[in-house]
Amino acid sequence: MSADVSDLSLVRRVQRGDKGAFDALVLKYQHKLVKLVMRYVRNPAEAEDIAQEAFIKAYRALPQFRGDSAFYTWLYRIAINTAKNAVVSRDRSPIEYNVDRNSMDTDESYDMQGRLKDSETPEGLVLTDEIRSTVNAAIDALPEDLRTAIVLRELEGLSYEEIAASMACPVGTVRSRIFRAREAIDRRLREVFEGGLGRAEELG
Amino acid sequence: MNEELDSQLSAMFDNELPPAECELLARRLSRDADLKARWGRYAVIGAVIRAERGVTLDGAMAGRVSAALSLEPPLSPEAAKPARRALQYHWWQPIAGAGLAAGVAAVSILWLRSQALPGGSHVVARTMVAGTSTLAARIPTSAPQNVSASAPDSFVVPPVPQRPMMVVPATELADYVVAHSAFSWPVSRGNLLSALMVSEPGTSSTPAGSEQPAPGVQGNAIQNPK
Repeated sequence: MSADVSDLSLVRRVQRGDKGAFDALVLKYQHKLVKLVMRYVRNPAEAEDIAQEAFIKAYRALPQFRGDSAFYTWLYRIAINTAKNAVVSRDRSPIEYNVDRNSMDTDESYDMQGRLKDSETPEGLVLTDEIRSTVNAAIDALPEDLRTAIVLRELEGLSYEEIAASMACPVGTVRSRIFRAREAIDRRLREVFEGGLGRAEELG
Repeated sequence: MNEELDSQLSAMFDNELPPAECELLARRLSRDADLKARWGRYAVIGAVIRAERGVTLDGAMAGRVSAALSLEPPLSPEAAKPARRALQYHWWQPIAGAGLAAGVAAVSILWLRSQALPGGSHVVARTMVAGTSTLAARIPTSAPQNVSASAPDSFVVPPVPQRPMMVVPATELADYVVAHSAFSWPVSRGNLLSALMVSEPGTSSTPAGSEQPAPGVQGNAIQNPK
């Protein structure tokens, strides 16, 4: 199985003019990209802005993407370059973020300083915290085989074949376990998103 | 929602769906808002499991990207073609390249030959042999045929040895030797000068063994070392 087959099918659709397929790619990689950019800028709000810019650059450059590398590898390079450029231009700019580095001794306090800069942060923070606690509670409630399968997939990044070897079961069983784990978590998560705070549904 | 469809979506999210099924599901995913929302929640689940700190999970950024891109024109299929075409490899490209190079080389050789053969050029024996060779070199190239036509082969006219011939423009060769003599090793210089003197029209009358310089060539520049 090609490692990038589903991404590539979405990319081909975008290249043929289907913008909706690019939404799916953004939804899939937005968290990874923000996390990646935060290696260069520790302010989460700024990291989101840079990640957003990287996605827009990627969309514009997508006609040149030939699929020689995985889509995420290509996107990763764009994000890194965008982050480096942002850091350079920010350092040159006379208007600096007014961050008191003496009080930013720990990652957590520095992180909170950045989060408070976003005007939407209070609502976003509440929703994010709620999402985290809901997902963690749902994972804890999963049967052992489902929890192991989803954690090996999401945390360790193992392929279905590797998980099957690890759990001594067929690949089809792994696929089913991961799907059932996601469904169980999603059932609870949907309630959070549909409770009025979620904005993911606005896409599309 | 169809459970089989959701199962396919989960496998597609993990890049574990066969390509043919991916194509169909990608089309549906790009148009179906519910399916896309579920896809987005699968991404959120992964982010929570990986404990990605500092990342907001409300999906606001995806909404902003989508809003920004709504102002962009959709990509056209033609936009992707030039890059692909430029890098496309054809089996005939190396053959055409080699053919072109061979053609240029052939034309160059023919042109050089046409420049060298008519007028101001003459034939120089490549290897000079003392005695008979010197005598033979004095005779015009057509002479042996005339002699042999009028009289049978005899002791008077020794047969001209059939050797490889080289076409050299006389003036250019003389200029080269004069310029070269200042730097060349004496022994090699002597060999070159011997060939030149024998080939010069004016030197053909020089008796064998004579070391007189050819007319038009500086005497001090041509010295045949012993």
